[in-house]
Amino acid sequence: MQKNKTKTRRERTSWKKALSRDWHLYLMLLVPVLLVVIFNYASYPGLRMAFMDYKPAKGYAGSKWVGWDTFAKVFRDRDFTRALKNSLVFNLLDLVVSFPMPIILALMLNELRFPRFKKVTQTVLYLPHFLSWVIIGSVAYQLFKPTTGIVNVLFMNWGWIQQGIPFLTEKWHWAATYLLIGVWQGMGWGTIIYLAAITGISGELYEAAMIDGATRLQRIWHITLPGIRSTIVILLIMNLGKIMGSNYERLDVFGNTQVKDFQYQLAIYIYEKGLASSKFSMATAVGLFQSLVGLILVLASDRFAKALGEDGLL
Amino acid sequence: MKKILSLVLAAAMLLTLMPLAMAEGTTDWEPFAENVSITIPVYDRGQAGVPNVEGNYWTEWIQKNFGDKYNITVNYVAIPRTDVMTKYSMLAAAEDLPTILMEYDYPKVTQWAADGYLTEFDMDEFAKVAPTYYNRMVEMNQLTYTKINGDTYFVAAYRPYYDTSYTFQSFVRMDWLRQVGYDHVPVTTSEYNDAMQKIMDAGIAAHPAGGVMVTGVGSDQNYQWRTWPLDEKEWAMYGDYNIPALGWEPNYRLLKNENHKYNIGMTNPEYYLTGTEDEKTNFINGETYQYGAYISASMDWLTAFYEANPDAELAIVPVNGKIDAEYGTTPGYRTDNPFGMMVGFSSFATEDQIKAAWMYMEWLTQPENLFTFQWGIEGENFNYDEEGLPQTDSNYNGEYKMGFSNNKDYWCVTIEARQAGTIEDVIANNLPHDLPQDFTQDIIDWYYDKVAVRDAGWAIANALYSVSMESEAEYQTTLTNLYKEYRDKLTMCSEEEFDALYAQYAQEYLDAGYQAVIDERAEAYEAGNSTHLLNQTATEVDLNK
Repeated sequence: MQKNKTKTRRERTSWKKALSRDWHLYLMLLVPVLLVVIFNYASYPGLRMAFMDYKPAKGYAGSKWVGWDTFAKVFRDRDFTRALKNSLVFNLLDLVVSFPMPIILALMLNELRFPRFKKVTQTVLYLPHFLSWVIIGSVAYQLFKPTTGIVNVLFMNWGWIQQGIPFLTEKWHWAATYLLIGVWQGMGWGTIIYLAAITGISGELYEAAMIDGATRLQRIWHITLPGIRSTIVILLIMNLGKIMGSNYERLDVFGNTQVKDFQYQLAIYIYEKGLASSKFSMATAVGLFQSLVGLILVLASDRFAKALGEDGLL
Repeated sequence: MKKILSLVLAAAMLLTLMPLAMAEGTTDWEPFAENVSITIPVYDRGQAGVPNVEGNYWTEWIQKNFGDKYNITVNYVAIPRTDVMTKYSMLAAAEDLPTILMEYDYPKVTQWAADGYLTEFDMDEFAKVAPTYYNRMVEMNQLTYTKINGDTYFVAAYRPYYDTSYTFQSFVRMDWLRQVGYDHVPVTTSEYNDAMQKIMDAGIAAHPAGGVMVTGVGSDQNYQWRTWPLDEKEWAMYGDYNIPALGWEPNYRLLKNENHKYNIGMTNPEYYLTGTEDEKTNFINGETYQYGAYISASMDWLTAFYEANPDAELAIVPVNGKIDAEYGTTPGYRTDNPFGMMVGFSSFATEDQIKAAWMYMEWLTQPENLFTFQWGIEGENFNYDEEGLPQTDSNYNGEYKMGFSNNKDYWCVTIEARQAGTIEDVIANNLPHDLPQDFTQDIIDWYYDKVAVRDAGWAIANALYSVSMESEAEYQTTLTNLYKEYRDKLTMCSEEEFDALYAQYAQEYLDAGYQAVIDERAEAYEAGNSTHLLNQTATEVDLNK
């Protein structure tokens, strides 16, 4: 009996058997794993740059070790404080504004009953995700310039406004426009995971609820939302990890001198003060700082979620 | 016969400048026993309609006529024109720097030297391999610019007419000026502002002065706003091209005028969102008074302008020879550096690679090679006129199509302009002649006026330093980005707010690193490590306008 148990355990854990049975799946997995190893882990040795006065022409061997000097210099820099503050505020706002939208949209799409209309709507909503920020930015300026933008020209021609609205040229208006364009660009694509999670909810629950007389809103509230709660929590934890990050491309295309008070975020700081000035050590130090804070936030939120009885991420 | 005459003309200037050249030269070289691979940087300007900069007929032409002969593989690497330093940084980080590193701006190349991108070399060795190139540097007194902190890092390309450059011209709407009572193009600030006001009042254009977003580097050049006689130490501290001098009196006066122009509506209220291509479009569409560009045999935007405005009359902005009593602006202007490209060599390159790079430069400097590279194939890219001078076919679009501005981004490693005949011939060859108006004589006159103004003492060269300026490397990017932000806020604030805001931003600018920059420059100047002002006895010039 004991012998049989041991055999069963060995059979279950045999990687050889698993490999020979599912080799094609492992082969497919190899490509993404290699990508992660090459682009995420292979660059780790480069992090030592943050602790060196790194000169590209001298290489690692010829550059001096400076300990925490680069970090101290960065943290004393007023521009870093400004960029950090803006990054935190805008990423939090982005999270507040952008995170719920795909959930709401997924719930709405799930309620559509005419299949062709549903598919067309989904496709239309996905499309902005495939547009580069450069294109979105240039179109946005054509639409929203204060005096020659199409939207302002139309509003003025219709007599709705006397002066153009500075959608992208006054910092508060810019903040709203920037965030809403972000929502528009990402919400459709963000629904995919939620829609997939919704399909995993048993149809019998809806049928039972309907027999019991639940309205559509009640079904959403009591069946669909609880059914995708763990997915929401996982995505929230992952998004919290991005709270220190920022998208250079997005910030750059929407940037102009009138909104620098808000647009100056960590990605811009790293590019301007780090890469464009050949200060690779500084750029690496800020990047490392961003990653560490992100990691801490992910771990903390994961623990918090588990404390609330959720599955968590890890 | 025509070709021979042309070659003689093309070589004339080079030959007069290099009496010792050609005694030694390309014929002494032996092919390398092992193939040597070199990489040459070439600007990628992102322009449509030009061949791929890294591989085209002309890169193959170099390989076939030079590389194969000496067992050298010549590669080219594209350098984005608008982001030169970042690209070189990336190449250095990948230990993949090109064999040659070159740039026009002295602070950039001194930064490369300080960062270890460049290798020191023995100028005597260079002279042995590239005698034509070397002797030209001697004749042009360029050797003084080849050292940093006493070590030799650079060779210098030749820039003809560097202090009377005529290649950038501003074109204005003469028809508009006539409509508001002007029979000449305004050259002083007070006349210009007056003319713009009248154009606005007449309803010809809403914002005739137009305007483009500032780039930071090289923005708001204040040469005409400086007070004469110039103080040499101040000139050495503030008179730089790359880092705008926020807080210096000439910059204050310049920005005060920009603020006034913005507040009365002369400037496009969206100028800070307007790129140079948009500005060009605005001019072509008849919305702005002025547009400036480098002249060339093919000026598509001028063709487009005349198609869109068939009744328009253009004029070029003449050279100013007078002091403006109202604004205090002068004929002062910035001269180019007395060299073209500053060329250094990668610290990653082997001795053979550096020798091959020197051979490449020397080979390109030979008149017959340079002529073909600059003008192309007879009957395809150019034809000879009655005087035997080459005339570029600006409409040529065949397999021998040349790179931007007649392959300039390749041959700039040795010279900065095409030369064939007299200055009149050169100007004529660098202008289109199929437009409703021909500006050849105007630009020739402009050139001689510039010579007169230079001779009267109004040319200002920037200070150059023979020591590396660490504070510039440290703060330049921060300061140029900060300048863009402050400059636009100062332009767009109300006229009443301007002075207080200017004082506040000037102080913040100093605190952000400008103080360290001007202190280091002052130190270098006082230690005798800078160039000097040449002429301070500027007098007004009557240019008979």
